[in-house]
Amino acid sequence: MSLFTLLRVALRLLRRNKLRSALTVLGIVIGVAAVIAMVALGRGAQSNVASQIASLGANLILVLPGATQTAGVKGAQGSSSNLTRGDIAALGREVPTISAVAPTNRVSGQIVYGDANWSTSIFGSTPAYFDVRQWKVARGATFGDGEELTAAKVCVLGQTVADNLFGDQDPIGQTVRARNVPLRVIGVLEPKGQSVMGNDQDDTVLVPLATLQQRMIGGSRETVGTALVAATGPDTIDAAMADMRAVLRQRHHLQPDDDDDFSLRNMQDIAKANAEVADVLTVLLGAVAGVSLLVGGIGVMNIMLVSVTERTREIGIRMSVGARSRDILLQFLVEAVALSTLGGALGIGIGAIAASVLQRTTGWPTLFDPQTAAVAVAVSASIGVFFGFYPARTASRLDPVEALRHE
Amino acid sequence: MANDVQHAAMPPASVPVIRTVALARAFALGGQVVRALGGVSLQIERGAFVAIVGASGSGKSTFMNLLGLLDHPTGGQLFVDGVDASHLDRDARARIRGAKVGFVFQGFNLLDRTSALENVELPMMYAGVGRAQRRTRAVAALQAMGLGDRLEHVPSQLSGGQQQRVAIARALVNRPSLLLADEPTGNLDSATTREVLALFVQLAVEQGITVILVTHEHDVAAVAQRVVEFRDGVVVHDGLPPPEWQPVVQAPWHAGRVA
Repeated sequence: MSLFTLLRVALRLLRRNKLRSALTVLGIVIGVAAVIAMVALGRGAQSNVASQIASLGANLILVLPGATQTAGVKGAQGSSSNLTRGDIAALGREVPTISAVAPTNRVSGQIVYGDANWSTSIFGSTPAYFDVRQWKVARGATFGDGEELTAAKVCVLGQTVADNLFGDQDPIGQTVRARNVPLRVIGVLEPKGQSVMGNDQDDTVLVPLATLQQRMIGGSRETVGTALVAATGPDTIDAAMADMRAVLRQRHHLQPDDDDDFSLRNMQDIAKANAEVADVLTVLLGAVAGVSLLVGGIGVMNIMLVSVTERTREIGIRMSVGARSRDILLQFLVEAVALSTLGGALGIGIGAIAASVLQRTTGWPTLFDPQTAAVAVAVSASIGVFFGFYPARTASRLDPVEALRHE
Repeated sequence: MANDVQHAAMPPASVPVIRTVALARAFALGGQVVRALGGVSLQIERGAFVAIVGASGSGKSTFMNLLGLLDHPTGGQLFVDGVDASHLDRDARARIRGAKVGFVFQGFNLLDRTSALENVELPMMYAGVGRAQRRTRAVAALQAMGLGDRLEHVPSQLSGGQQQRVAIARALVNRPSLLLADEPTGNLDSATTREVLALFVQLAVEQGITVILVTHEHDVAAVAQRVVEFRDGVVVHDGLPPPEWQPVVQAPWHAGRVA
């Protein structure tokens, strides 16, 4: 008998026992749907982390000034202000594995537009900042070297700030006030969302570093809060960090047994740790769902065994008209595989729907990926073969005389 | 392929359809060996109509199962159409069964919830006949049984006589040399019994199909040319039906016999 005929016969027999077939399929449907939904959830978490890494800017290294030390009591990291623009410039000059450096200073402040106001972080940096963080403007323009040199009174708003001050109005060309300095809005940054640490990256205002240092805060024009450094590639991060450390130690005149008076942080390490958590999550969720798929498979086997017993006479009749063992084996196997594959296909649909409902109701990111769907179908078909084989073999080995006598 | 089957089904007329030599079947039952059939030697010619009678447990069903290749002998030899079928494996037996033997059972043994047409197509499906040809031949077989208007009916929608005729159509659709009927009239009323037996006589006389009929009813057995009686696993009578048995239907070979 051809495989096509077998499939037709199998589907007809399954249709004849609609309720039972449906219940059997249900086990597989739930199993596959669970796998699909859970893996979508895990993948969603993974891609969330991946996009966070991307939003940091690729290959980002942070340079933080060291801690103040007063009579042996160390202040918080970054509390000292021993990084200078000269240090940062030296890094860019002397470390070959660095592609860009952006010194930054940050102050908190209130931004006022008309009768609206908003408290946020004001960052001063060089135009390189936009490259290092791979951050573009959604509207308007970024500031360039000209604005930096002249300490121009311009700013670029983060999306959150723009929304809160301007609502639906176009902020470009408007003037806001920050720390009593009128700033013309020249651009609005595209939204980046949450950082790896969970704070809103769009809640920010960017001004040229010179503007911040000369017009908005007192003190040294040379001191830099934090520098953002981009390595030339993911592979050069470690080398860049080693070279940067050597350059800074030398510039700060540190002896070999002195501690660093600055610190270097590779943000990707933090992101990678998060990614690992997401990986574990995916595997765990998938494994739990896999167990339900296994239970579904056992359900198929159970029903097939019952079916073999119930249809013993039918098997006898088929044998009496010339069916060979192989024909009977294949018939039951095809039935089992048809059941479980059908279940798999339905499960993918329901799993995808469940994932999107989950995303909508809980806000957890999910990612449905076709590869998992293909694997799920293959797995459910294999479950049909695996759990269908024993019942099918039992059927094929029945003694025709006994089978015909069966009531 | 179809040609081979045709050839296999048509050996020279001189070769008996069935020849057994000391055919025996023993069963192991709880450590004990039960000899269900103890060495039967006989020969059945092409186109013969033979009745096999005997009490239950006499070995007649065992003999039938061996002839129909549903079972395998534990001793002696069995030739079907001159081919030694004594030591064939399951699948080889299944193949010969599909090609040369048609079964008719007391309980009809049609597949439930399956149309008459599909029931009749079943043997051809296992014989590898193509779909279109299957349909044509099944329709023809059912029409020949007077069921041309019942093709799509399922067994539960058919009377006992109609079901048995579907079963006969199924048994004949692969053009077997041998029709094995196990108590085929056991579940039928007397009118339908006559109808079915007349059909068997016709098949034997007109189409040269060998009919072997197992029954315990004397008037049914009396329709046959030859009666083989089993008792305790051996043949105790082989010859004309006893004259006192009145056949339910007449056959050509009854002519000249004392009624």
